[in-house]
Amino acid sequence: MEKSKNPTVVYSVSDFIAVLNQTLEFAYPVVEVEGEVASFKVNQGKYVFFDIKDSEGSVNCFMTVWQLRMPVEDGMKVIVTAIPKLTRWGKFSLTVRVVRPSGEGAIKKSFELLKAKMAAEGLFEPERKRILPPLPKHIGVISSTDAAGYADFIKILDDRWSGVRVEVANVQVQGAGSADQIIRAVNYFNQQEVLPEVLVLIRGGGSADDLSTFNDELLIKAIAGSRIPIIVGVGHETDETLADLVADVRAATPSNAAQILVPDKKEFISSSYSTVRSLVPRMLQTIEQQKQGVRHLLVGAIGLTGQAIDQEIIKIQSTNMVLSQLDPGKVLTRGYAIIRGKLKKGEIIEIETFKDILKVEVKNVTTK
Amino acid sequence: MSRQNKSIEEKTAELRKLVSWFDGDQFAIEEALEKFKQAEKLAEEIEQDLVTMKNEIEVVKRKFDSE
Repeated sequence: MEKSKNPTVVYSVSDFIAVLNQTLEFAYPVVEVEGEVASFKVNQGKYVFFDIKDSEGSVNCFMTVWQLRMPVEDGMKVIVTAIPKLTRWGKFSLTVRVVRPSGEGAIKKSFELLKAKMAAEGLFEPERKRILPPLPKHIGVISSTDAAGYADFIKILDDRWSGVRVEVANVQVQGAGSADQIIRAVNYFNQQEVLPEVLVLIRGGGSADDLSTFNDELLIKAIAGSRIPIIVGVGHETDETLADLVADVRAATPSNAAQILVPDKKEFISSSYSTVRSLVPRMLQTIEQQKQGVRHLLVGAIGLTGQAIDQEIIKIQSTNMVLSQLDPGKVLTRGYAIIRGKLKKGEIIEIETFKDILKVEVKNVTTK
Repeated sequence: MSRQNKSIEEKTAELRKLVSWFDGDQFAIEEALEKFKQAEKLAEEIEQDLVTMKNEIEVVKRKFDSE
């Protein structure tokens, strides 16, 4: 029997599906497809099903809830990163790894939905915010070392302060996988034996799509769960990301993050000297107060001494007066006389008056 | 720890403590001059440290593009 030159291969159904999947895997290992979400649903809290469609067609999509990093709802325009696959039931599906919003409207919508969700979980509450160390000695920086924002941060840090140990985790700050890299960096610093005192997450300005990395749900939760306080400085002053909102401190820009983190050394030195100089008037004031106190005491002491002396003088004068009253000579001037000798009949006695001394004989003595 | 090994933060804390001594009940004019000299020296050391020290920047070797 003659054999066919081009024999047709007959596959079993499962082999056919396997071969087709191999072909798809070879031809389209990963695809990115843009479209509008329809029939979005989550089964058993684990499995996510939706269709992605445009005006001409529709494709089924499947993923797990853990892979879904942004809120999705019907009508939202998204880009899915996925692996095309034929299921064993012969249904074509995209096994989705990443969903990201597409277009300004969808980015904004996604941002608002996630913001509301995170706010409902209390992640933006002011009570959660921690105070940064006033003079950090050891900081961890999470950024791309090629980014302009990183260069700005280091320049301002060097200009303002010295003696800081800066550990830098070089990560991608935009595009697919960037949020995961930042999460790993946050976890890396949190697992170190010696923790940095503060983490700094920075990147310069960019489009809404570039900054969407900082609106990733798992990244928001990683920042919220960090043991180390985090300052986030992403984009320009007008840009707002959810990473900003969940951070302990929000900086308007990477440069602003450095300004918040450390004081200006020139001002610090000047302030130190000024503090020391302020002690001089305090010392002089104290010396003056003490001088016045001593002076006051001296005046008081002199006054008291004078009073005591005056009192003594008065006493002496008074005593003098008494004594002068008792002076026999004074008594004689008042007409009295002093009698000396025995008052006995026939005795000769002496009588002294103010002017004379008389010798007289006692003729008679009569007791009163 | 000798003063030479103290960080700027520790020296600043020490300076603050000295200054608060001048405002406190412990203040005594007999000790004030010595404390003032210490404060002056600390301010000089803080300046010296800030002028001479550099920030030490080290990019960690670990790559973050995979687990």
